[in-house]
Amino acid sequence: MRNVLVTGGSRGIGIAIARRLAASGDYNVVAVARRESRELAAAIRQAQRRLHFRACDLAATDAIPVFAKSVRDEFGTIYGLVNNAGIGTDGLLATMHNSEIEALIRLNVLAPIILTKYVARHMMADGLGRIVNISSIVASTGYSGLSVYAASKAAVAGFTRSLAREVGRVGITVNAIAPGFIDTELTRSLNDEGRRRITGRSALRRLPEADDVASMVEYLLGEGGRNITGTVVTVDAGNTA
Amino acid sequence: MSVKSKIFSAMKQIAEEQKVTLPPLEDDLPLNETGFDSLAFAILVARLEDELGIDPFTVAEDAAFPSTLGEFVRAYENVPA
Repeated sequence: MRNVLVTGGSRGIGIAIARRLAASGDYNVVAVARRESRELAAAIRQAQRRLHFRACDLAATDAIPVFAKSVRDEFGTIYGLVNNAGIGTDGLLATMHNSEIEALIRLNVLAPIILTKYVARHMMADGLGRIVNISSIVASTGYSGLSVYAASKAAVAGFTRSLAREVGRVGITVNAIAPGFIDTELTRSLNDEGRRRITGRSALRRLPEADDVASMVEYLLGEGGRNITGTVVTVDAGNTA
Repeated sequence: MSVKSKIFSAMKQIAEEQKVTLPPLEDDLPLNETGFDSLAFAILVARLEDELGIDPFTVAEDAAFPSTLGEFVRAYENVPA
């Protein structure tokens, strides 16, 4: 059974990914979050020992090397890493507090880069691995009030492409997924009017769901994804089409 | 097996996998003349972390990487257990 680490695995897109991978029967999933949500605890009970929770505050980047080692010591070789954890603080740049800007960049950019460093080099030593980073359509479009978030997600896309070049030779793929607006706690600040506008602008006249992103992760980790690397896959119901 | 011989044997194994011909391993051999590229060194550091349980370059305060093989070995020998 291949081990997959899913960060931000207690809520939203992360728990959808963790649940789907565990249910596939092909993976042993370690969901990483600061705290185990009630939803995750319930999913773990249903997953027949294929889903586990391990606590880590990824914003405390100094603790990441030890955390990565502890997961490897406990579960063995890590086959897949899904960098999904993130915060979506919105607000006009002009009035956003500097500490909020810094916290967002720390969790959305710095943490996944450092975690990837410590996980990927063991994948390199093993000669095998799949890395999936969760970006956003906002990385390449524009949305007022999300400039800092957009910067962090564009960073993730750039990181993905160059790392794919760096580690391709040793058999590791690195891809990003750019979801459109998905109803999760992260996007709860969007009001009904905003939601209607986005839906109306989407080719399929609906919003994508967390499980659509989870399906794409499953595909990229599976046999079908073996020759896909360095790319950003959009899952947005045609919002940017 | 000493730390030094563990490092040398890990290097020989990686050299074989990466199809690199290693020169004779001496203390004063510059790392950039080992034939290892940065990818091979990343693999080496990861394998040694597994084998020795330490990564001296994460523990280190400064970001400098050693320049000779002898310095590289000493970085592993000098890590407090």
